[in-house]
Amino acid sequence: MDKQTITLTLGDSSGIGPELVVKALNDMDLRDSANWIIVGDEEIFNKGMKIAGKTLTYNRISNIEEFDPQAGNLWFIDLNNMNASDYNIGELSAASGKQSGEALKYAMNIALDNYADAVVYGPLNKDALHKGGFNFHDDLHFFADLLNCKEGFGEVNVMDDLWVTRVTSHIPLREVRENISEERVRKTIEFAHGILTQANIENPKLAVSALNPHAGDNGLLGDEEYDIIKPAIEKVQNKGINVAGPYPSDTILNERKKLDFDCMIAMYHDQAQIGMKLLGFNRGVTISGGLPVILTTPAHGTAFDIAGKNKADEGAMIHAMRKAQDLISKEVTQK
Amino acid sequence: MKPVVGITMGDAAGIGPEIIVKALQDETLYEQCHPVVIGDAKILERAKQVVQADVTIHSVHSVKESVFQHGTIDCYDMNLVSKDLPFGQISPQAGDAAYKYVAEGIALAKSDDIQAICTAPLNKEAMHKGGHLYPGHTEILADLTDTKDYSMMLSGPNLKVIHLTTHVGLLQAIENINPERTYTVVRLAHETLLRAGNENPSVAVCGINPHAGENGLFGNGEEEEKLIPGIEKAQQEGIQVEGPYPADTLFFRAGRGDFDIVVACYHDQGHAPVKVLGLEAGVNITVGLKGGIIRTSVDHGTAFDIAGKNIADEQSMQEAIRAALDLAPKK
Repeated sequence: MDKQTITLTLGDSSGIGPELVVKALNDMDLRDSANWIIVGDEEIFNKGMKIAGKTLTYNRISNIEEFDPQAGNLWFIDLNNMNASDYNIGELSAASGKQSGEALKYAMNIALDNYADAVVYGPLNKDALHKGGFNFHDDLHFFADLLNCKEGFGEVNVMDDLWVTRVTSHIPLREVRENISEERVRKTIEFAHGILTQANIENPKLAVSALNPHAGDNGLLGDEEYDIIKPAIEKVQNKGINVAGPYPSDTILNERKKLDFDCMIAMYHDQAQIGMKLLGFNRGVTISGGLPVILTTPAHGTAFDIAGKNKADEGAMIHAMRKAQDLISKEVTQK
Repeated sequence: MKPVVGITMGDAAGIGPEIIVKALQDETLYEQCHPVVIGDAKILERAKQVVQADVTIHSVHSVKESVFQHGTIDCYDMNLVSKDLPFGQISPQAGDAAYKYVAEGIALAKSDDIQAICTAPLNKEAMHKGGHLYPGHTEILADLTDTKDYSMMLSGPNLKVIHLTTHVGLLQAIENINPERTYTVVRLAHETLLRAGNENPSVAVCGINPHAGENGLFGNGEEEEKLIPGIEKAQQEGIQVEGPYPADTLFFRAGRGDFDIVVACYHDQGHAPVKVLGLEAGVNITVGLKGGIIRTSVDHGTAFDIAGKNIADEQSMQEAIRAALDLAPKK
């Protein structure tokens, strides 16, 4: 079996991304497990090595055609698209946003052209990207636009062996109810089943959370559980998908052992994110699923407050790189 | 001075009496508070047999007669229930008594004989048959203290949460939030911790929308309309309060100690983090009752099916007593 090839971006150059990529690649087991092609500005990467206090040996190339898996496993495509005077570490800037967006777009295109099997990107800053000329609603829609995708995608969060995805995402809480339908709940369950299966989890166990407190308390606090969520669950159960619920959303995560599931399906953003952040703020991985390119990133942000100080923990970046490998392993085997 | 915690005995046919006797075998509780049970001494005697506890039930008729020593359970003896009351059955007599224990608890709190009330479960049906048509404990407490603006608090080892709304559907919860309610609950949070001995409590408020609305990107201005005016009013009164912040990162920050208490907008927003942080045994706390009365409660019912069998777990009762002594006004 050929080694997997994964493109990496450094994320926002003012944040902790560059130093994290260096630190993660300093893990030799991880580094030897795939071919890594970093896409970015070489000066930013050099700065990252300086901050991390590590020197990595890599092959610098100017385009993907020059990549030769026989000649090494760490490559750098230098876009040379940043002036050192245009940004400062720890400060939000349009230049950093523009640079990180361009690098990501470039990395995605390499994967789209089948030179790479997945993209792992360093933490992005939404304000910086907006200022840098990339206009979008949230990260997922940014990627979907870049990849010309209209539907069927979703954000998935993974921490250790716990997976979470949700029916609605970055919308006002007030609009959650009108965006939940039997069809959308069903499609989200099927989406979750698909992505966990892709990650080699056999017959994954899914648990759906309720919308209202106490799962509606037999209709006293809401009907959505009976009218929408339950019928959706039953329909996908009939297709052989291992799914149960709806469960009260305040206890679903701490009763995980009892309920025995791999993936929680939330109805709205905070329902899943509050628990996930408490369980491991710095270990989570975010996957943008259902797109033609496999995309993973650490769940944390750019952390401007500690950027450049070699304080940031590379754990989530390593998990993001490993998770990308899990998601592609099947495809590579099938090739 | 250790606070005196009045523990109301709940429905005598349920598990209340036995979990109280079991909970009070924990010596550390006596190191931190003076517990006194408001109930029937003969029912506690029976519970003592059930759980085979090596304690003395000490019947008193005023709180002052209590000895507050581990190994002795002081009972403010109201003598309302017959000794041979069957376990696990709805009884108007026990329902009436359960109400009267709570009413007496409120009277004792008003006269400052006790500094906090901890309630064992009552049976709603029995209480109704006993002639007291309340939906539950909280409504009795609100009625007898003439309170309208109360709130539900949860307390865990590293996190305290107070709620703007609780048992309403998610959409209704958003409707029910307004600046006045936000201000009231922020003030309740501040005053409750202040009286409990925290000289400079810090309060933080959760946003309603994902990322607290992210400057209008993920919201329709609910934070600006419903939360911020209430927060600003409290700030102008010198209350140390911040927000609204994205709920997911706020609970993480509060859990590591950045804030003393978090104001949650709706039930699951506040309950989920407390439970994820490992509060096995739940405690409900009612704050805002007039006179500053603190009331804590177990999060389970009378469990008639296992009453009198020494099966019931006392952990929630112990946590409720601990929460009561923690939040009781300190002098």
